[in-house]
Amino acid sequence: MGRTAFLTDATICIGCKACEVACKEWNEVPDDGMVWSGLSYDNTKALGASTWRHVLFLEQPQIAGPQISDMQNPFRWVFLSDVCKHCANAGCLEACPTGSIVRTEVGSVYVQSDVCNGCGYCVVSCPFGVIDRRPDDGRAFKCTFCYDRQKAGLIPACAKACPTQSIQFGDLDELKQRSKDRVQELQERGYQDARVYDPQETSVAGIHAFFVILGNPEAYNLPPAPEVPTIHLKSAWTSALISAVILIAIVCAAFAF
Amino acid sequence: MTTPPKPKASEERLDEIRRAAAANANAPPAALSSGDSRGADGSESYYGLPVLKPPTWTWEVPLYFFFGGIAGVSACIAFIAHLFRADTALVRICLWIGLIGAGICPALLISDLGRPTRFLNMLRVFKLRSAMSLGAWILVAFSGCMFFAVFSLELLLRGFAPSLFTPLLWLAEGSGAVMGLLLASYTGVLIGATAIPVWSENRKLLPAHFLTSGLGCSAGILELAGFLIPATQFIGFAAAGIETAIGALLEVKKKSADAPLHHGRSGWTLRIGGVLEGPVALVVRIFWGSLPMGREAAAICFLVGALMSRYAWIWAGRTSAHDPQSLFRLQRKE
Amino acid sequence: MPGLGTTYGRGGATTSPKDLLNSDAILIMGSNMAENHPVGFQWVMEAKEKGAQVLHVDPRFSRTSAVANIWVPLRAGSDILFLGALIHYVLENELFFREYVLHYTNASVIIPEDFKDTEDLEGVFSGWNAEKKKYDPKTWLYEGVESEDKDKSASDGGHGQHGADASPDLNRYRQDLTLQHPRCVFQLLKKHFARYTPEMVEEYCGISKAAFLNAAKTYCTASGPEKTGAICYALGWTQHSSGVQMIRCAAILQLLLGNMGRPGGGIMALRGHASIQGSTDVPTLFDILPGYLSMPKFGEESKTLSNYIAKYGARTGWWYNFDKYIVSFLKAYYGEAATPENEFGFNWLPRVTGDHSHQGYWLEMLDGKMDGLFVMGQNPAVAGPNSGMERRGLSKLKWLVVREMVETETASFWYESPEVKRGELRTEEIQTEVFLMPAAGHAEKDGTFTNTQRLLQWREKAVDPPGDSRSENHFVYHLGVLLKEKARRDPRPRNAGLLALTWDYTIEGNHKEPAAEEILQEINGYTVATRELVPGFTALKADGSTACGCWIYSGVFPKPGQNRANERSSKDFHGHGWGFAWPSDRRVIYNRASARPDGKPWSERKKLVWWDESSKKWTGNDVPDFTATKPPDYNPPADAVGDAALAGDKPFILHADGFGWIWVPVGLNDGPLPSHYEPLESPVRNPIYPKRQSNPVANLETRAGNQYATSPDGRFPFVLTTYRLTEHHTAGGMSRTLSHLAELQPEIFCEISLEMARELSITPGQWVTIVTARGAIEAHALVTPRIKTLTIAGKTVYQVGLPYHWGYNGLVKGDVANDLVAISEEPNVRIMETKGLLCNLYRGRRAENAKTISELQTGLGAR
Repeated sequence: MGRTAFLTDATICIGCKACEVACKEWNEVPDDGMVWSGLSYDNTKALGASTWRHVLFLEQPQIAGPQISDMQNPFRWVFLSDVCKHCANAGCLEACPTGSIVRTEVGSVYVQSDVCNGCGYCVVSCPFGVIDRRPDDGRAFKCTFCYDRQKAGLIPACAKACPTQSIQFGDLDELKQRSKDRVQELQERGYQDARVYDPQETSVAGIHAFFVILGNPEAYNLPPAPEVPTIHLKSAWTSALISAVILIAIVCAAFAF
Repeated sequence: MTTPPKPKASEERLDEIRRAAAANANAPPAALSSGDSRGADGSESYYGLPVLKPPTWTWEVPLYFFFGGIAGVSACIAFIAHLFRADTALVRICLWIGLIGAGICPALLISDLGRPTRFLNMLRVFKLRSAMSLGAWILVAFSGCMFFAVFSLELLLRGFAPSLFTPLLWLAEGSGAVMGLLLASYTGVLIGATAIPVWSENRKLLPAHFLTSGLGCSAGILELAGFLIPATQFIGFAAAGIETAIGALLEVKKKSADAPLHHGRSGWTLRIGGVLEGPVALVVRIFWGSLPMGREAAAICFLVGALMSRYAWIWAGRTSAHDPQSLFRLQRKE
Repeated sequence: MPGLGTTYGRGGATTSPKDLLNSDAILIMGSNMAENHPVGFQWVMEAKEKGAQVLHVDPRFSRTSAVANIWVPLRAGSDILFLGALIHYVLENELFFREYVLHYTNASVIIPEDFKDTEDLEGVFSGWNAEKKKYDPKTWLYEGVESEDKDKSASDGGHGQHGADASPDLNRYRQDLTLQHPRCVFQLLKKHFARYTPEMVEEYCGISKAAFLNAAKTYCTASGPEKTGAICYALGWTQHSSGVQMIRCAAILQLLLGNMGRPGGGIMALRGHASIQGSTDVPTLFDILPGYLSMPKFGEESKTLSNYIAKYGARTGWWYNFDKYIVSFLKAYYGEAATPENEFGFNWLPRVTGDHSHQGYWLEMLDGKMDGLFVMGQNPAVAGPNSGMERRGLSKLKWLVVREMVETETASFWYESPEVKRGELRTEEIQTEVFLMPAAGHAEKDGTFTNTQRLLQWREKAVDPPGDSRSENHFVYHLGVLLKEKARRDPRPRNAGLLALTWDYTIEGNHKEPAAEEILQEINGYTVATRELVPGFTALKADGSTACGCWIYSGVFPKPGQNRANERSSKDFHGHGWGFAWPSDRRVIYNRASARPDGKPWSERKKLVWWDESSKKWTGNDVPDFTATKPPDYNPPADAVGDAALAGDKPFILHADGFGWIWVPVGLNDGPLPSHYEPLESPVRNPIYPKRQSNPVANLETRAGNQYATSPDGRFPFVLTTYRLTEHHTAGGMSRTLSHLAELQPEIFCEISLEMARELSITPGQWVTIVTARGAIEAHALVTPRIKTLTIAGKTVYQVGLPYHWGYNGLVKGDVANDLVAISEEPNVRIMETKGLLCNLYRGRRAENAKTISELQTGLGAR
């Protein structure tokens, strides 16, 4: 199999949350709490161990492209289905000490739940804040990219359920090209702030679940320049080495005299 | 592939959900919207909600940092002391501290795991790019070294096969010292090489701080055990002096990522801990270091401060994860 | 349904959601299509990508508005002002599709002199009887219709209304093809809507003139041979006291613009529930029989079968075949016991003697006049209007059977309703014996769904239902067996019908289910003597030799083994080969109108069905909704009857005159043309007819507990509108009990504007109490600019939006929003008004506002 990807397009999302429900139904993900957030129609709030698709509801004081709404002040309501990014260089995968998190043949990042011992290091290593531990279970969970469905020749549950095909699934390179074409088309239609979110120029080196969004990534709680934390290793170990040498010197001095 | 999931919603689980929903019905929403999904301070984010996930680690982990630092540096002191022909009793107690630490530390770590029975899975792989993977192996190696070191020493002291145990002791001590320094410092690398801004921004400081802290704690324990010798006094002064400098450095850092170091529970704990480890320990040693009580007081201050500091850094990580703006500012290089 | 039924001939969506791909403009009004029909909405999104203009006219900026090209905010209840202004705009700017209007509509037909418009009579049409609060519609008939026929035109409206109440011979009309005659429909239409101007819209709908004109231009220019526009509507129109007339406005507009029967045109009536189309086709409504035949009413019209046929059949048009359908239906019901001698058992059918609608019988229930009730797949304790009152009604029954998959609020009212919790009712004193029977889910039984585009799709049973859960078929069948046994032992005349009922399905499986395919075959119809399945309704006879359970479905099972509802190989764009659309698998109905009077398509771009001269047949991309061999230039002889009496250029074949009815001469209770009336509770006086505030024919059912605010009312200054969210399913029985849905919207909230929150000092998210003349509930306040503050007639009008999904059990609970709604009846279909009410809103929870609430309610009771 080649590498597969998600292209999730905010400009065709209608905020129906079929993706959230389909994912939970297929993967038997437990509920994530029954709390009303008061944040527009988003009571899910974030991805986590028990939420693998999360629909955002942005309310912004600006217009969506050429839309006309007879409002006193400019306004738009933008929806986006967020998901694990399945990074090309994945922080969680690098961090995992048990080898539970692996790269599959379809290019996705997959947590083997029968290996995971819940050490929690992946949780603090994800630059997107996706993966988390389930408190009652102890292990870490995240989107599996419906690996079982892909191996059986099916498409992921969320893509299957999405009624408007805001979630597109397919070959990685094909979708990357499609996302570029889509943004160009949107800009020609008057959506000046349409862009692809796919941080290829960072150490993450691109993600396999990328997005077409309107406006800045921060508005979607997407980090503008995410980095895989292993880039910090060199400077940290160097500091450890230097400090250790100084410590040895101090102790030697202490005993020499 | 995946383990079979837990049984479908039982009546118990349904009742639990109903209770939780009823309890939450009265709780006011955490952050509220009025048609603008930017954060409360007007800067761009998604309702001011956190981007990152906070560390899931509980009380065992800072305690592990603390004991790991002591055990690791003690092993190093043992080796160097032995090299410089110090008192055998000193070497002996250092090695025992190392061994005891090598027993406590795994217990703490295993207890913190989400699935403690699967602790051996830590040894399925060896990953240079994962500080936690290295840490697991370091701990194993350190424990091995300490065991053989103590074993050899005790037997040597009782006169058994010196031709075997003397080289074995040197080997175990030497490698134990290296492993010990790694044990005492890798934890700084562990949290420094993460996505959490306050940690990653201080990744160079953390290994240095943890090592210094471990050094002062080891010496302090030796002093409390009665080893009021010039070496431990020297080490005590050096550690407290370096900690004072580190504390001052932290105070002047003003990046938004460093906010948890100056505010809230983490900020105050870090300051108090830093003050105890640094200026207070230093001053007590300067003015009352000639008295046994004075040295012991300085040692205690240092030890308490070190423990507080470990907790403060974990709490700071949690606070930092909850602040989307510090992450965004970092990445926009503001 | 009668809005479309009277205008075009059939009450139902005229096209399918996929056909919206062919639209140049789509007007969505009275509907939140993206949220309530998300899967169907994919076609709107694709149409938009292709360049169609999507307009959403709605009081709220919902998820539909978010993705529309144009959102027009509208005061809830002012829809006819807006739509009437669109009609006015089209007429004034001559944007109507002239050739289409001339040939395919009754715009040219002349109306007699004794007709008086609402413009002449200050808000009522001629024929108004103030005492009875009803119209005598004989002045609405065409000029030329015989006078004695006029007396037969009196109707009581109802769901079956398709204008075939037409024993008056509407085919004898007079026309002015220049459309200049002062009493032709076209000119009457112009005069009727003359005052529905953009200025009126600005002042009373709260829409700026510029916004209105932009929307009008965008939609109304999608017309003509090369372009079409579609209108989508749902309960935002139907749940109004003038709901049918709102739909009528849209229907008139589509005829003027020439959009009916054409690709990308039509009216997409979005039914509210997965198979609700099916539940009006094979109905659970009191006033119609399967296939929209009328239930006989007590009196002269039902004394004999021939009286009944005379009343509801027609001499011209398709309803000439009415007798074939009713007789075949009776044969399906009564089998061998139905003979020509006993009028095929016609007298075993019950007669309508009053208002047996949901509201009608519920009020009788409240008055203690009902013994028992079956509630199947409905949750009136939450979904019913004035649900608090409905719950009280349940406590007056002797017995109640609830068939459900979960214990809904209707089943548990006797121990946990708010009335019981507040001590107003005591469980020990409630005499109702409640039976909760477990029901099978949709994957646990065989059968069809009929969705909003009239498409029957068969579902195969995937698993056995658990435990004692059983399907509806099982329940009703075995109940019938028991009742028939009782009837056998008690052979009084009133039990004769039960005894005569054919009830002979094959019983299958360990659960003893009646074979669902046999039921579908019975619905399809068969020849009695040979039991051979009929190919369609054209094979049905009036002599008792055929039986057919529902004539419009005939053709779904034409041969043994050929269950067309179960076919799954779509052959073309319209989906032929996947499922079966009634009638006769026509996907876009009235499609004769997609061709010119001469039979050629209006344009290459918009061709659908056309006359093929070589094969002498209508052909094209859809099954022609027309007699296949009738040529476009066919001129009927003077004495022709039935379909043969309609010319080759008359697409609306159910109508006696073959026209699309801009003017409805028979069939509606509240007028041949729509007029603007305010909702039953409104913040302003009716600007068009100050003397007629609300629909004069609507039934308010005012009584203690069902009071109304005055219009306007200082105690209830805000407009309240209720609606659905995507995440929940109607009364919540199937969503509040499932954690994956319940967690998406766990608590009840209302939506208010920023200005309203500021003025009332409401913090976003806090609890507020909403009070109407019926009741009070509490909800969180979601403060958002998506609810616009309007200026109506110079004053600020705040609107409050309220989703209605919560009840007192389930994983997540909340107050019941329908406690606030009144029991009222629109004049034709008796649907309650939930979309425009008056309310007040206070900070704090209900308990904190108890004093205010009780003061308000005491004040009301005293009136």
